[in-house]
Amino acid sequence: MTGRGIVDGGLQVLAGSAVVLLVLLVCVRAVRRERERRRERAAEPLRVLLLELLCAEGDEEPGSLQALSALDDRSWAAVEPTARTILAKVSGQARDALAGLFEQRGVATRAMADLRRRGSVRKGRAAEVLGLLRHRAATPQLRVLLLDADPEVRTVAARALGHIGDPAGVPDLLNCLHGPHPVPPGVVLQALTAFGTAGHDQVATGLDDAEPLVRAVAVEALGAAGGVVWTTRVAAALKADPHVEVRIRAARALGALGTPAGLEPLLDAVRRGRPEPLRAVAARALGRLGASRAAPRLGELLDDPVHRVASTAARALLQVGPAGRDELRRAADGARGGRAAAHARAALAEAAIGEEGARSTAGRAAVGP
Amino acid sequence: MASILVADDDADIRDLVAYKLTQSGHQVTVVDDGLSALKAVREHTVDLALLDIRMPGMSGLDVCRELRATPETESLPVILLTARSQELDIETGFAAGADDYIIKPFSPRELSSRVQAVLARATR
Repeated sequence: MTGRGIVDGGLQVLAGSAVVLLVLLVCVRAVRRERERRRERAAEPLRVLLLELLCAEGDEEPGSLQALSALDDRSWAAVEPTARTILAKVSGQARDALAGLFEQRGVATRAMADLRRRGSVRKGRAAEVLGLLRHRAATPQLRVLLLDADPEVRTVAARALGHIGDPAGVPDLLNCLHGPHPVPPGVVLQALTAFGTAGHDQVATGLDDAEPLVRAVAVEALGAAGGVVWTTRVAAALKADPHVEVRIRAARALGALGTPAGLEPLLDAVRRGRPEPLRAVAARALGRLGASRAAPRLGELLDDPVHRVASTAARALLQVGPAGRDELRRAADGARGGRAAAHARAALAEAAIGEEGARSTAGRAAVGP
Repeated sequence: MASILVADDDADIRDLVAYKLTQSGHQVTVVDDGLSALKAVREHTVDLALLDIRMPGMSGLDVCRELRATPETESLPVILLTARSQELDIETGFAAGADDYIIKPFSPRELSSRVQAVLARATR
């Protein structure tokens, strides 16, 4: 066989393999789609039972709970994915009813066993449902999953720990921000925030961590979760942390906490010479504080050469009450120069549009249809 | 009994809200996007619109603004549905003229009470 013959033969084998692969792929997809359709068809009549359970009122156990608990395994397998999806979307009595059903069907027990399996999909699904069920006994195993090789599993485990809210999981959540298998900071922040006051003390230990990212996420979580008793520590981070990202997040946290103790550190953080992103975030935080004492400093920022700082200051002034409006009006009249006037006018115009909308709504409520 | 329009691109939410409101004695029309919501308001008698803020194409906020800008629908009571992570949308929602909002995940019972309250305010 010549060299060309070998190449042609090879190409034909390759093309044939590609066609076979393509056909296989199409077949697998078709089978999956058909299986999903069949599941949906089987679940459709049971959906009404689920809705009835979710919308039941009063203390009596609804008949739908009994009916769903007594379903044969095949029917339950058809309706369970829908029930899992809905579990994340409801609260109050509806969530409790659904969690009770899951308990009766042994979903948590099966999910606990699945957490130890090899397949990532199974582990991820199990972690998700245990989180939604707030199954506290799953905490130790979920902490282990924060180090799983699969990034999706790590992310789901972090979210689940946040839903469960057992403070024992906080140190692992802080640790999983760095190392060979990190979890995205946004996911960790959301999970830490979900702990609320129960997790504050543990989250605050992250303020002393050697890793800047851990300090940054910890400080922001304290702000987002209303850790007002930690205001002094957050303010100290804004003033003295060597890493700018930590200082930025501390400024944001002080704005979210809204205590007067945040005012002085934030006024200092907007000074010229400080890093620009920090100044912009601090200006916004001053607006969230709503202290009229911030108005003069924010007014000075209106002619700042950094556009983002000036426009943020203008919007922040709208939030600090009459003193802020006065600053904006003076600036709009040209008291602080042309650039400041432009920012002030833009903010005032934006506010006027919003207020017009609110007025017309209030007018409707007062007059009625 | 009131005629209520529910617009949400999430079928689970649509079904759940429709079931609860029907159970409370209301007549419910469901649609899955903003444009269909506007069409439904123009073609049917609607006493209250429940709009998800984030919908593909035209958002609930856009629908709300459009309703307020049209003389025939400017006083139609509107309740917005929003996810917890999008709470900043609430301020924008009120500025757009919404009468109330409900945060997801929500309790069907609370949703029904809020609908009743807004309807009662509108007929006062």
